Amino acid sequence: MKRILAATALAVVAVSATACGGGDDGGSGGKTKLVFSYWGSDSRQKLTESAIAAFEKKNPAIDVEGDFSDFDSYYEKLATKTAAGDAPDVMSIEIRGLAEYAGRGALADVKGKVNTADLDQSVLKAGQLDGKQYAVPTGVNTWPMIVNKDLLKKEGGKMPDDKSWTWDDYIAASQQMTQKSGEQVWGTEYNENPAFLQVFAGQRGEPFYANGKVGLSEQTIKDWWALLQKIIATKAGPGAAKMLETGTKPDQALLATNKSVYGSWWSNQLDALSKGSGQDLELLRMPKAPGASASGMFLQPAMYYTISSRTKHSAAAAKFIDFMVNDPEAGAIVLSDRGLPTNAKVLAAVKGKLSPADQKVAAFMDSIKGELSPIVIPPKGATEMEDILKRATDSVLFGKAKPDDAAKTFLSEANGALTK
Amino acid sequence: MTLRPVEASTATGTAEPSVTSAERAGGRRPRRRKSSRARSQAWAGYLFLAPWFIGLFAITLGPMLATLYLSFNDYSMLTPPHWVGLHNYDKMFTADDRFVHSLKVTTIYVVVSVPLQLAFALGLAMALDKGLRGLSFYRSVFYLPSLLGGSVAISILWKKIFGTDGIVNTFLGWFGYHGEGWVTSPDTALWTLIILHVWTFGAPMVIFLAGLRQIPRDLYEAARVDGAGRWRRFRSITLPLLTPIIFFNAVLELIKSFQSFTQSFVISGGNGGPVDSTLFYTLYLYIKGFKNYEMGYAAAMAWVLLLIIGALTAVNFLMSRFWVFYGDEK
Repeated sequence: MKRILAATALAVVAVSATACGGGDDGGSGGKTKLVFSYWGSDSRQKLTESAIAAFEKKNPAIDVEGDFSDFDSYYEKLATKTAAGDAPDVMSIEIRGLAEYAGRGALADVKGKVNTADLDQSVLKAGQLDGKQYAVPTGVNTWPMIVNKDLLKKEGGKMPDDKSWTWDDYIAASQQMTQKSGEQVWGTEYNENPAFLQVFAGQRGEPFYANGKVGLSEQTIKDWWALLQKIIATKAGPGAAKMLETGTKPDQALLATNKSVYGSWWSNQLDALSKGSGQDLELLRMPKAPGASASGMFLQPAMYYTISSRTKHSAAAAKFIDFMVNDPEAGAIVLSDRGLPTNAKVLAAVKGKLSPADQKVAAFMDSIKGELSPIVIPPKGATEMEDILKRATDSVLFGKAKPDDAAKTFLSEANGALTK
Repeated sequence: MTLRPVEASTATGTAEPSVTSAERAGGRRPRRRKSSRARSQAWAGYLFLAPWFIGLFAITLGPMLATLYLSFNDYSMLTPPHWVGLHNYDKMFTADDRFVHSLKVTTIYVVVSVPLQLAFALGLAMALDKGLRGLSFYRSVFYLPSLLGGSVAISILWKKIFGTDGIVNTFLGWFGYHGEGWVTSPDTALWTLIILHVWTFGAPMVIFLAGLRQIPRDLYEAARVDGAGRWRRFRSITLPLLTPIIFFNAVLELIKSFQSFTQSFVISGGNGGPVDSTLFYTLYLYIKGFKNYEMGYAAAMAWVLLLIIGALTAVNFLMSRFWVFYGDEK
């Protein structure tokens, strides 16, 4: 029996050894092999593959392998690979995962390795933790209000003055749209994304995160829920069940199917929304609380390029990131797919090539530049925030919990996740 | 395959299928010397079994032991595990409301959907047992949902059917009912999953059908001569003789439905919503391990699930003594 066990064990080892052999050391012909992981849509995969091809042409000694998956399974795959000691050399990460990965020692400091001189320095800060540059932002996003101008005109609405409109104005305008259309379209869709709450709270001077904890007060959270409840009660927007159905992916958004006049999404989703809708979508500033001094709006890196702390090819990895953020050739291929480039030279070089929707985004970002709050990196554990907020919000909107209780639950669960 | 279990089992010196009934009756077993031929045949046997062994050790037993170890650790996957003793198990039952909630959701799901599904399967099996023309065609058609039911495609389809503008609401709209989406309302979401489970009645149905075929027809004839009605024949002949099959199906479906994952993962978009109404145990386990970086806790949850299913199955077997009737018992 022992011998059998030994034989089996040997067989297992042999099998797994061959299985691992593929990815370990540099590829064929003395080339340095890099693995670059990222998530996204099919179109992003095509763009990225051609950017990789352009990079390999310039650097024949480096062979980049794109490791692509959709966002739902991306972190699961990345964590598993990291656990197995097989982390990709260059990893894409979004802002909520940054503290998680950097804080656990999975990322390398890129300072001095990647040329960051031409990047927007205020955005670049959003890649720094504990004085180290763990990540390079790929591009920026903001969380605006989006309006379908064609639909607005058709239903006899007026363009709001987004420099002065309040939350009440927004709800009234939306309610009017629902009524005028005979409930054929909704005035607005809304989104349970934490970014929305962040804007809302920012107008009261409350940051979403402060000192490694949630910086929101119970009252602010409850007022935000009251806002959503008012949208539902006045029929300015649909009920919570409908929003769960359409409110998470831009291709199912009510804006994309011309079923609502207003709605909020990330600015780099305007292109997809416009394509889906086929009508003229425009960006607006978010409505404000009366008398608020700050707009609450903020810039946020769409995602980051990072280098694994365990890579054997950090020079090649840095070269690749450098190419992606600084080389106009890469910029011309990737365009605004990973957010609007923060390298001013690249942006100037590719501006003419951007789609009409993305040109609007670029112009909009320019116009609100002076009104933005600084970027705050969410602490470790923030990856759970979206789910925790969604759960608490839904429990209120579906009448399963009182706002008082739900706000307490949210804060304790959220802080629990952050201090874990 | 012409593998001879006789040699294979004696070589290990443990199992006894080679012992004839005469030997068993006679008590003493003649000592056997292993010929070199027998030994080489034994090796051939193991060689053929190797794929199974590799599977068992590399992808079942190994990982199981690893999770057992990890369940006593705090393990984020990004950093090495560190030992915390029974903390994960302790937390589960004392400080995690969502864990208890997921257990509740799963229990409701199992307790409602398994009996319903079995009743449905039995009813259809009896209808098909009437000697329908084209039986094999119907059997395949009804079996189809079982093959597809756990798939992602069907879950997406379900989401559409029970959505705000889905078929169900369109149909109800003709009768003046205008409701919200069934899968996105916390009060109804779990019930759509239960319906989905009941709909996959094909596998138990086929087994029931085979079981019904085993019941001697003359029993029915005799009962009919004695004036037994349809219900009486069902109560006194079909049901008792079918109890082993019912038992088999019940055990199987119980184990399977406790581990349901795909349906709620797809329909809720991976978070068990709305408001945790479809938070299955395995989905919560997945969320803990892969989304919240608490792999140690997830490992502990996996072991608790194993214990729960094991205990329920044991109870099932104990109870079976009182209601399952095997034809050869007198």
